[in-house]
Amino acid sequence: MQIEDDEILQGFIEESLEHLADIENDLLAIEEAGANIDEDLVNKVFRAAHSIKGGAGFMGLTTIQELSHAMENVLGMIRSKKLVPNSDNINVLLLGADQLQRMVEDVQSSNDVDIQEHLTPLNAIAAGNPPPVSAAPVRGGKRASEPEPAPAQEPAPKPPPEMEAESEPEPEAEAVPEELVIDSQLDYEEDFDSEADARVIAPAMKRIPADAADNVKKQQKVETTIRVHVSLLDQLMTLAGELVLSRNQLLQTIGSDDFRNAEGVGQRIDLITSELQEAIMLTRMQPIGNVFNKFPRVVRDLSSKLKKNIDLTIVGKDVELDKTIIESINDPLTHLVRNSVDHGIETPAERKRLGKSEMGLVILKAYHEAGQVVIEISDDGKGLDGDALAASAVNKGLLTVEQAQIMSDKEKINLIFLPGFSTAKEVTDVSGRGVGMDVVKTNLDQLGGNVDIISEVGHGTTISIKLPLTLAIIPCQIIMMGGERYAIPQVNLEELLRIPASQVKERVERVGDAEVVRLRGNLLPLIRLADVIGVKRTFWDDSDKTLKEDRRELISDRRGMNSPHFRNNDQGTTVPDAQNSNRGERAAQDRRTSPASALNIVVVSTGAMKYGLIVDRLQDSEEIVIKPLGRHLQHCKGYAGATIMGDGRIALILDVANLARMARLTSIDGTDRAHEVAIAQEEAKRAQKDKQALLIFRNSETEQFGVPLNQVERIEKIKRSDIEDLGGKRVMQYREGSLSLVCVDDVASVQPLADQNDLLVIVFSIASQLIGLLAIGPIDAIEIATEIDGNTLRQSGIMGSVIIGKHTTMLVNVFEIVQTLHPEWFENREVFEIGKGQEESPPTILIAEDSNFFRNQVKGYMTEAGYNVIEGEDGQVAWEILQQNADIVSMVVTDIEMPNMNGFELTQIIRNDPRFSKMPVIALTTLAGEEDVAKGKAVGIDEYHIKLDKERLMACVHDYMKRMH
Amino acid sequence: MKERIHTTDKQVVELATFYVGNSLCGMNILKVQEINKLMQMTKVPQAPDYVLGILNLRGQIVTIIDLGKKLGLGETDISNDPRNIIVNSTGGHVGLLVRQISDVVSADMAKLEKAPANMSGIQGEYFTGVYKTKQNLIGILDVDRVLRIDD
Repeated sequence: MQIEDDEILQGFIEESLEHLADIENDLLAIEEAGANIDEDLVNKVFRAAHSIKGGAGFMGLTTIQELSHAMENVLGMIRSKKLVPNSDNINVLLLGADQLQRMVEDVQSSNDVDIQEHLTPLNAIAAGNPPPVSAAPVRGGKRASEPEPAPAQEPAPKPPPEMEAESEPEPEAEAVPEELVIDSQLDYEEDFDSEADARVIAPAMKRIPADAADNVKKQQKVETTIRVHVSLLDQLMTLAGELVLSRNQLLQTIGSDDFRNAEGVGQRIDLITSELQEAIMLTRMQPIGNVFNKFPRVVRDLSSKLKKNIDLTIVGKDVELDKTIIESINDPLTHLVRNSVDHGIETPAERKRLGKSEMGLVILKAYHEAGQVVIEISDDGKGLDGDALAASAVNKGLLTVEQAQIMSDKEKINLIFLPGFSTAKEVTDVSGRGVGMDVVKTNLDQLGGNVDIISEVGHGTTISIKLPLTLAIIPCQIIMMGGERYAIPQVNLEELLRIPASQVKERVERVGDAEVVRLRGNLLPLIRLADVIGVKRTFWDDSDKTLKEDRRELISDRRGMNSPHFRNNDQGTTVPDAQNSNRGERAAQDRRTSPASALNIVVVSTGAMKYGLIVDRLQDSEEIVIKPLGRHLQHCKGYAGATIMGDGRIALILDVANLARMARLTSIDGTDRAHEVAIAQEEAKRAQKDKQALLIFRNSETEQFGVPLNQVERIEKIKRSDIEDLGGKRVMQYREGSLSLVCVDDVASVQPLADQNDLLVIVFSIASQLIGLLAIGPIDAIEIATEIDGNTLRQSGIMGSVIIGKHTTMLVNVFEIVQTLHPEWFENREVFEIGKGQEESPPTILIAEDSNFFRNQVKGYMTEAGYNVIEGEDGQVAWEILQQNADIVSMVVTDIEMPNMNGFELTQIIRNDPRFSKMPVIALTTLAGEEDVAKGKAVGIDEYHIKLDKERLMACVHDYMKRMH
Repeated sequence: MKERIHTTDKQVVELATFYVGNSLCGMNILKVQEINKLMQMTKVPQAPDYVLGILNLRGQIVTIIDLGKKLGLGETDISNDPRNIIVNSTGGHVGLLVRQISDVVSADMAKLEKAPANMSGIQGEYFTGVYKTKQNLIGILDVDRVLRIDD
C-alpha cells in the first residue's frame, strides 16, 4: 500500500473520525424518524460518508473507500426515499461505521482488512434486497459463513481523488442526482483541482519512510490535538504580544531605576498574566457532549441485546469541563450508563406488570452548580434494594449482621461502592464482573469528584457525580511542617481543628499505638505528618510559643541560626549537624511529655476514609498550579506534585489518600460508618431512656445543686438587701405579697449560702403556695441522661446525686425542705388521705418504673400518703404482678420508657384485659411531649404526670381514688 | 556530509568537565542546558538519599541529584559553593550537583579508553570510559545511566 504525506494523512484521520462520531448519532436519529425522513440529516450523513470516501480514495486507502462507498449508496437510497430506514438497515450502516472507524484508526493496515461481511449486506440493501436477517449486534465478529461474495454491483470506483477540507455544505449536496447510488462520477467533475494535486503527490508518497507510519500509530490512541476556536487563538496572540511589550517596559524600567514606573509595569504584567491564564484555561475546556454523544449508541445496542425498550435523554451537552476530566470520566460514565440499562431498567414485560410504561427512561444530565459540574444518570427502573445490598454484603463477609441492621437505607445503598461488591445476581457480560462500582468511585475520587446515589425501590435510581471544572489550578490549604510548606487540596479538606494546649490531654486519646481525637462524638484517627513522611518532629508548638504567634517568632529568633526555623534558609539543608538533631529529639520528647502544646489538625477525607493530619502550623488557603515531580521522585507516594509559591520557592502537594495508606490507615467506608451510626444510636437510645431536665445552681460556690426544671415557676434576681428577716422567717416582697424564702442549708447539711450581694431566687409552687429558694449562679438548664444515685448523698432535703460535667450535683428535694420548714402548710393534707379512714386496708397502687431512684421516690410519696405499693421494674414484670394481684391493685402508675415492655405497651395490655378495662393508669414521664401525650391517650392512659412533681401526682392519685371509692 | 564524517576517523566531542569529590569527570556538553549556583531548594522527605531536593528553575520543577552521592564518591559539601549542572533528560530537567566546574575539553572519542576496573570506588557502570588529556584523566559519565531510575 501507499503511505502518504504524514500531515495530509493525519488530517484525513482526524477529519474522518470527526465525521464518524457524528454519523453514529445521526444514523440513530434517522432510525428514530423512520419513514418521516429528515432530509437535512440524511444529507449530512451522506456528505460525511462521501467525504471519507473521497479522502480515502485520494490516499489510496481502497478498503475504506470501498466501504464508505457502499454506505453512501444505501444512504443515497434513503435520501431519495427509495428505502425506508428501519432498525435492520440502520444496523448494517452502524456496523459499517464502526468498521470504518476501526480502519481509520489503523489506516496503515486498513487495506488488509476483510470488509466483505459489511459490503454484502450493504450491497444487498442497495440492490433492493432486504438484508439477510440482521447480523446485527455482532460487533466486529467475522461472519465467515456469509455465502455471497461481494457482487460486482458497483463498479469498484477507481480512486476518485478528492479532498474536502470540511463537511461544509457544498453545492454538491443539493445537486447530487439520484443516480449517484451507483456512480460517483460527480466527484470527478467537482474536484479536479485536488485530483491534479494528487497526481503530483502520488509519486512522492512512495518515498516516505516507514517511520512516519509509526508516528501515526503512536498517536492513534491518546488524543494529542485539540480544536480551539480561532477567536480564542487570536486573543491568546494579542495577550502574548501585550506580555512581550510589558516585558520590554520592565527591562527598560529596571535599567533606569525608575521605581514609580516599575509599579505600573508590575500591575500591567499582573493583569496580562491573569488574562492569559484565563484564556489558556479556556482552550482546555471541552463540551461534555464529546462524552455524552456516544451513549445513544451504547444504550441502543445494549437495549436491543437485552431486549429492553429504552429511551435515552441527554441534557446539557454544552456544559464545559477540563479536557483531562472529560477524558477520564468516559469510563466511569459508561459503566454507570450500562448499569442503568442492564440492572436498572426492567424488561418490558416486567414493566408492564408493574404498571409502568414499557419504554424505560434513562436520563443523562449535566449542569453547573456552585462552581462544580454535576452529572446525573437517572433511570426509572427498579431502583436499588438497600436490604438486598446489605444481605449480599453480609454474605460476602464485608459487613456483620449487626452492622447491617443499624445502617440507614442510604448507607445500605452506598454499600454498592464497597470493593468486591456486585449487585447482579448473575454476572453478565454487559455490566461487569463485580469490579465495577468501587473502581468507578476510585476513579472519580482521583478526579476530586464525588458520587451520590438516590434510589427508591420500584421507582428508579439517580446517581449524581460532582466534578471540579478543572484540575490544572486547584485551591489548596497551605500548612507548615518541619519548616517546609505543603499544600493540601481543598477537595480533601474537611475542616481545620486546633486543640488548645490545655485540652490536648483530654481530647487526644491513645488506642494502642494509634492516636485518636474525639470530634463531635466520633473518633478520628490522627496521623502525624512528620512521622509519615519521615521528617523529625519539630518544636514549633513549644508551650510558650503557641500562646502568641508573634512571640513564637521571637523565641525562635533567639534560638540562633541553628534553629529549625532557619534550617531551610541556610543551604546546609541536608547536613543536619549534631546539635540540631539533638535539639529536635529533645523537643519531640518535650512535646510528648508536656501536655502544654496546642495541636493543629487538618481534618481530611478521601473517599473511603477521614482522618486528622497533625501539622506544625496552618497557613492560608491559596490557588496553586500543579506541577509534576521529576521521575526520580515518582516513588514518593505521599505527594501529588509540587507547586511554586509566591516567593518562588516550592511547596509539595500532599496526596491525602496515599498518606493514609503509608500510615497503614485502613477503613472501609460502609462498615466504619455503620459503627459510627451504631454508637450514635446507642447514645440516642440511652439518652431517651431517662432524660431529665434539671436546673443547675449553687448554694455555696463549690457545691452544685439541681432541681427538676419542671417544678420551677420562675427565677428572680435579687440583692441581698431585698431580703427581710421577719418573725424568724426570711421573706421578700414579691408580686405585692410576701414570698417565703428558704435555703438548701436550712435543712440539708451542706455548705452555707455564699456571702454574695447578688442572689437568685428560684420560685416553686408547693402546697398551692409560692416559695423561694435562695441560690447563687451560675445557673443553667440542662438535660441529663444518666442514672440518678439515690443512696450515696441522700439526706433530708437532698433526694440524690448525679454527675453533670464532672461535678457531682445534688438533687434538691424541695418538698422535703418545705415540709420541714413549714409543716403547717401541709396540715390540711389529711383530706387526701381518705383511703385510711374509710377502708379497712389501704388501696394498693402498682408502680412500674425501671429507674431505682424514681421508683423509690414515687413509692415514697405513695406510702407517705398511706397507700400500699407494689413495684415492678419494667412493664413486663409489672404486668405479671398485676395478673397475680388482680383483685387488690386499684391503680397503675407507670413510666413510659422501660426495657422489655414500655408504658404504652403495658397500658395496651391492661386495657385489652376485661378485668382491668376500668383500671386508672397514670403515666409518669420526665418530659411530657405532646406526641407522647396523644399516643398515651390513644392507648388508654388516663393522666400524664411529671415524675418529680409530687404534689400534682398525688393530687391526681387521690382524685382517682376518691372517684373509685 | 555523511562521507566527510566517515572519512575523518576523529570523532571530536566537546566535554564539559567538573569535579565530583576529587575525581574529574566529563560529559558531552550538548547534554548540558546550563550551569547554576545552587539556588534555594526544597527538601523532599522520603526521596532517595541522593536526591537533595527540588528547585524552581523559571517555573519548572527540577530535581537536584548529588552526583557525588549517586556515584559513591562521597557527599558533596553544599556549604562550599557547589555548582549545579542542569541537564536535559527524557523525563524533564534534572540538576546534577558537583563540587566544582572545570574546563571544556575537546576530546577525540576514538581515543576513549575503557574505564579501569579499580576506579577509586566509583561504580564503573556509570562511566562509559576514561579520556586522557595531557594533565588529567577524565571519567566520561554516562548521563542516561546516571539518571536511570534503579528499581
